[in-house]
Amino acid sequence: MSRKESEIQDTIVGRDRIDVVMFFLGLAFLALGLWILVRVVHIQTGYKVPQSVIGYFRPSVQKHTDAPVRGRILATDGRPMALSAPLYDLYMDCTVRQREFREKKDAGAEAKWREKARELAASLSAEFKDRSAADYYKAIIDGRERGSRYLCLRKDMDLNTLQRVQAFPLFREGGNKGGIIVETHEERIYPYDSLALRVIGYVKEDTRIGLEANFDPVLHGREGYEWRRVTDDRSWIRDLDSSSVKVKDGMDIRTTLNVDFQDIADKALRAQIQANEDVRAGICIIMEAKTGAIRAMVNLSRGKTPQTSLWERDNLVLREVGEQGSVMKTVTLLSLVEDGYVSSLEQTLPTNNGLVPGYNQDVHILDYQRETGRRDITVMHGFEISSNYVFTYLAEHYYGKKPQEMFDHIYSYRLGEAFDFDISGMGTPMVNRPGTPGWSKTTLGTTAYGYGLSVTPLHVATFYNGIANKGRMMKPYLVESIEKDGKVVKSFPPSELNGSICSPATADTVTRALRSVVEEGTATRLKGAKLPVAGKTGTAQVVLTPEERGAGNRDPYHDLSGRKKNQGTFVGFFPADNPKYTILVTVYSYLSGKSFYGGTIPALAIREIVDKIYALDDTWYGEYRPTEAVPHMQKKELAATTGTVPDLKGWGLKEALYAIESAGGQCTYEGTGHVVSQQPAAGSKWNKAETVKLILK
Amino acid sequence: MGIPNIGATLRNSFRAIRNGEFLLRVRADKYYMHIMYLFLLMWLTIMLSLQVDKTLTQAGNNKAAIEELRTHHAEKEAALVKLRSASATEARLKRMGSQAALPKEPASVIKKK
Repeated sequence: MSRKESEIQDTIVGRDRIDVVMFFLGLAFLALGLWILVRVVHIQTGYKVPQSVIGYFRPSVQKHTDAPVRGRILATDGRPMALSAPLYDLYMDCTVRQREFREKKDAGAEAKWREKARELAASLSAEFKDRSAADYYKAIIDGRERGSRYLCLRKDMDLNTLQRVQAFPLFREGGNKGGIIVETHEERIYPYDSLALRVIGYVKEDTRIGLEANFDPVLHGREGYEWRRVTDDRSWIRDLDSSSVKVKDGMDIRTTLNVDFQDIADKALRAQIQANEDVRAGICIIMEAKTGAIRAMVNLSRGKTPQTSLWERDNLVLREVGEQGSVMKTVTLLSLVEDGYVSSLEQTLPTNNGLVPGYNQDVHILDYQRETGRRDITVMHGFEISSNYVFTYLAEHYYGKKPQEMFDHIYSYRLGEAFDFDISGMGTPMVNRPGTPGWSKTTLGTTAYGYGLSVTPLHVATFYNGIANKGRMMKPYLVESIEKDGKVVKSFPPSELNGSICSPATADTVTRALRSVVEEGTATRLKGAKLPVAGKTGTAQVVLTPEERGAGNRDPYHDLSGRKKNQGTFVGFFPADNPKYTILVTVYSYLSGKSFYGGTIPALAIREIVDKIYALDDTWYGEYRPTEAVPHMQKKELAATTGTVPDLKGWGLKEALYAIESAGGQCTYEGTGHVVSQQPAAGSKWNKAETVKLILK
Repeated sequence: MGIPNIGATLRNSFRAIRNGEFLLRVRADKYYMHIMYLFLLMWLTIMLSLQVDKTLTQAGNNKAAIEELRTHHAEKEAALVKLRSASATEARLKRMGSQAALPKEPASVIKKK
């Protein structure tokens, strides 16, 4: 073989070797690729990370979020009406240690675990008393057999219960060995149950009502977070190298509500409603005259039928916009007196058989004419008997040519608009004034006796409070301060809606008329209440919905059977001579053939409320001044210091014993009461070996 | 340094370690104070780190204890407040068959002359 041939042969052999190497290399890469592909498919479909490996994948730090503690809602005296505390839900990992026992094939350990589970079941049954021990045991064992890692055993436990449960057999071994799982959730507690529930309100997912909703940003606080790392002894601690935000707990809000007043009003109103199955709902407002602070706000209503329970279902005080009836006659009277059209309540007007052209006849006037034989009536008496005729006549006579003047008054009393309040959702009044679509020839007269003008009960109470406060109309309010750890952060002082709705003299005149309603008029059930009350009754028929009215029925107030919906109101203030509180009670009926008057159910409820509030406040009771000087105890020197036996006459036994025995002497005594004689006598030489005999009477 | 030198150095080092002469061979005695100081610093760092961990653990435990107390307080407060209401008191008295009732007159006040 020539050299050239030899070189060619070498090249061929070299190339073959490279080809072989490359072939196997390619084969290896192909195998690797296939293996990777298989692994990808396996990982995506059936791969489970072994427990022993999982720990290596966990981050060394974990983010921990701190939820703030929601602020409390306090009554005016600081008693909590809503506060937060965690509640605990109890679950169990039934599969705990199952795999471990199985892998070790340790049937004894499994049997032992089940025996502990039986003891646990007995303890749970004894604690919760909702299921038998056998039921609990069955639930646990069934859960273990079907691999349940999250068996719910109990929800909403308090801390004491949780601590007892944590000491039960099996659970005391902890989560990893005993399978106990506890989940915490912050829950709102209302210690007074449904008392003022609509005022306090709540925040639950999409439902947000009352003070809880309006003051949510203040009450909620701010979430915090920190990164935590695990220490050598497996505790989780804050990782100082990471960022953190400190949790900020919510602030408290102190309301103006008086729990005792709220309790009294709730109870009185509840009793009255429960005694009348035609009554659908009842409300009560108690407002402090000088400040406008609301001391009680009750909103009780039944469901669609009388058989349903009474509950704070809706805030009718704020939302129930409606014609208020005769309680609005005070609006007309106040305007007439303030404008000088009625200079005296004894001013008379002709009775005209109770007829004002264009209006319905007032039959009360016919009764009045028949009983008295008179053809005129005083404004005072017209107010006492709540005559529609009298107020229609006065309104038409004095404001007929200038109705705007009366409506200006109505707006100045803030009856024509919703005002800012601590709970949102106040209904907007509806006023049929000149120029509006609802205005007609009779609107002025009907407005004068309470129809044609729709307002909320809070508007009415605020107006009467203005009269009680000598013309100064205060803005009603429910929150007096925001507090943090007992310190006031922000306070909300009383404020005015209108500094002067009338002169003090006008307010006094109208107060006299309101007092007369209780003494001589439609609210005599309040006569003799423990505090004198001044106020006005009102009965109004409620406009029915088209469904309630029935097809083809054009009467807005009656259904086809002649039934109607009534509301009866009493609103006033007490004590009448120096008003401290304004009070309003309204009851609403179902569709009924009966009438409900402000002088009946509301007046009875108010009487009970007034009598009970009277008993709570000692400022209304006569003061006692001591007529004899009460002797003051004089400090007497002890026997040991004076060297003589002290005069113990008039002393109590305790003091006498102390005086003798602290000087080292001995004492015997007879009787009870105060020392009347002693042996040895006072002033004789002290000898501590001698027993002092005391006679008490 | 060639590969044989590295091998020789490793062999020498190994022998020196085996004979307990390594630190002397590398003249570590010259840096004795520095080494001791370094150890001291390391010891201090570890000790302080452990103390910080211990303090933070204690702080965490305290926080949990405070939270537990707060919960107890809130639960007790709610229970007591509930008992304090006038109607709850009235109902309790009635249930116990007591003749006592809520006052019908306000408390009398005796004022100084």
